[in-house]
Amino acid sequence: MESTPVIKKETKNRISVDYEGKLSYKERLLKKISASNTWIKVVVNIFRFILMLGVSYVILFPFVSKVAGSFMSMNDVVDATVSLIPKNPTLDIYKYLITDNRYFEAFGNTILLSGLCAIVQTFVSCLVGYGLAKFKFKGNGFLFALVIAIMIIPHGTLELAMKRFFADFDLIIPISLDEHMTGILELFTGERPNITNTFTPFVLLSLGGLAFKNGLYIYLMRQFFKGVPDELEESAYVDGAGTFRTFLQIILPLSVPMMITVFLFSFSWQWTDMFYTDVFFEGTKAPWMLPNLIDEIPIHLQSEHPGAAIYEVVIHNTAGILIILPLVILYLFGQRYLVQGIERSGLVG
Amino acid sequence: MSNNNENVVKTSPLDAVKAFFGKILPATSGFFKKLFKPRRSLDATKARAGYFFVLPFILGVVLIYLPIFIDSVWYSFSNFTDIQVEVWDEELGANIIKHITGTTGVGFEHYVTAFEDQTFYQKLLASVQEMLFQVPAIIIFSLFIAVVLNQKMLGRAAFRAIFFIPVIISTGVMESINAEDFMKEEMGSGINDGTQQNSNDIINILDVQNLFASMKVGTELVTYVVGLVNDIYNIINYSGVQMLIFLAGLQSISPSIYEACQIEGATGWETFWKVTFPMISPMILVNAVYTVIDAFTRTTNPAMNYASDYSGTPGVGVAMSWIYFLIVTLIIAIVGAIASSFVFYQRRD
Repeated sequence: MESTPVIKKETKNRISVDYEGKLSYKERLLKKISASNTWIKVVVNIFRFILMLGVSYVILFPFVSKVAGSFMSMNDVVDATVSLIPKNPTLDIYKYLITDNRYFEAFGNTILLSGLCAIVQTFVSCLVGYGLAKFKFKGNGFLFALVIAIMIIPHGTLELAMKRFFADFDLIIPISLDEHMTGILELFTGERPNITNTFTPFVLLSLGGLAFKNGLYIYLMRQFFKGVPDELEESAYVDGAGTFRTFLQIILPLSVPMMITVFLFSFSWQWTDMFYTDVFFEGTKAPWMLPNLIDEIPIHLQSEHPGAAIYEVVIHNTAGILIILPLVILYLFGQRYLVQGIERSGLVG
Repeated sequence: MSNNNENVVKTSPLDAVKAFFGKILPATSGFFKKLFKPRRSLDATKARAGYFFVLPFILGVVLIYLPIFIDSVWYSFSNFTDIQVEVWDEELGANIIKHITGTTGVGFEHYVTAFEDQTFYQKLLASVQEMLFQVPAIIIFSLFIAVVLNQKMLGRAAFRAIFFIPVIISTGVMESINAEDFMKEEMGSGINDGTQQNSNDIINILDVQNLFASMKVGTELVTYVVGLVNDIYNIINYSGVQMLIFLAGLQSISPSIYEACQIEGATGWETFWKVTFPMISPMILVNAVYTVIDAFTRTTNPAMNYASDYSGTPGVGVAMSWIYFLIVTLIIAIVGAIASSFVFYQRRD
């Protein structure tokens, strides 16, 4: 006589069933352990965990040593017995970096510039990525190739030309092949404005989808939109929505995780950027940015001590902590979306 | 003489304008009619909308990028006549330096100078070598980590958060601070024990060479692997974006394929090579190209830095970076050709 299995207990994840000839818990456990692949699994798991731990250590240790160093006084820095925990901890480096090197001014400028660039870049790469992914028009493939080509040409090559372009800005191709070409701005205002030392060049580059690594953002967005099924838009069209309404009301809300990813990238890469700020900001009128914190040693910390060279590195490390601290906080909030956005994007080659 | 003058019909400028518009208006109205024609095919409508979406990029390229690009190419073929003049600035109340610049073409002179520059040649070689050295390592490492991070394991969320820290944070100014930090460690290690071993190095090349001396493994391979292990910090830092792209690719593989494999009795190893690897291969191509681009547009790249900080004629520096760009384009083409020979595209409907 056979009895049907009886459900004994049912929770959300687990159902325990009673049936004839069921082994006791102890017996089942023993069987599980003696199975040959259990041990392999355990070993692989432990090995994997240790490996991940090791790589995490390599990533995190420089930050730990930077933080430890930032509390050291000059004596600790030159003392060979001090490695991580300072003997006489002090907040001097932080204090003077903030007061002498005008941390808050730099912070304000940087947050303004990064925020501006990140918002514009995210939106523009969203637009361009959507256009490239979902519309068949003449030159689509060529434009995508152009996006990649622009990413390949290093901006270091264009540094000089870029500097001169924005120092002598006009809207109609003011190339130096012909010095006397009159541009639109010159026609109306009679002069070509110098817009270096302002945020305008950054915004203009972002608007055109040409700023630092914008090619990558456009690529990510394009691949993301390629994964969005066409039926979604078609049903919106059938319901009478136009292309732009569909984009704003259907597509944009869908792509929020990917947009957060792009925003995080553009914001933080602009935040730590030195190349563009060096190109566009020059002289006494230049806005004071966060990466400028390492340009000079705070007056109160300058010394003739023989260990000054090493101390300087410690100061720079501390400046580094101050620079990335806001980013770390942003990352803590955003990292979940970063991975999710990428994971759900279903990027296809 | 005077008769001739009388015979000429006097035309006012207004007439000219009228005539002009009379001629042009029918044509333009036809154009506008065509543009706003009430009935047109869906494809045509969509194509037009597509242009609107990519408009920012097109405008950016035409108005900003193209002038800069042409200028930069022109600079590599020309000499600067850059005169700096001190001009009294009312706003600032001080003298500011104003540049009066012009260019004169010199042909291929700068390129010849660049090729004759021994230092540049060495830096170029070193950069390309380092790039070729790092690219396979970064690809393999990031693929490996992505595969591991894609599995269920203890503390996966935490590891993911840690692994993507470098993408967000270790860029720009942090890269140079980190580089300096490593220099300090090396300074601190003082006199070494004669093996030319840096204190940062994880394994000593001599130890490993002794170990492998009896085996028939080439010294080149040993040197390469030891170099990689000692370069692990950089490799981890540079593989963040690649990891994300791989992770996205892994997520887009349908779980039903893996289920089928499991039912058929395939081992994990087989599943990786027969399923995961082919499915991820488009991402390998993307990442290979991205890694090359990233490596040579990086701010710490020696050849690029040498070119942009070139002390002599500015045109030579620009010429150098163009040479470098052409070489890297060649490398990208080769890498792309190699990678695309084994890329597998799943047919999608």
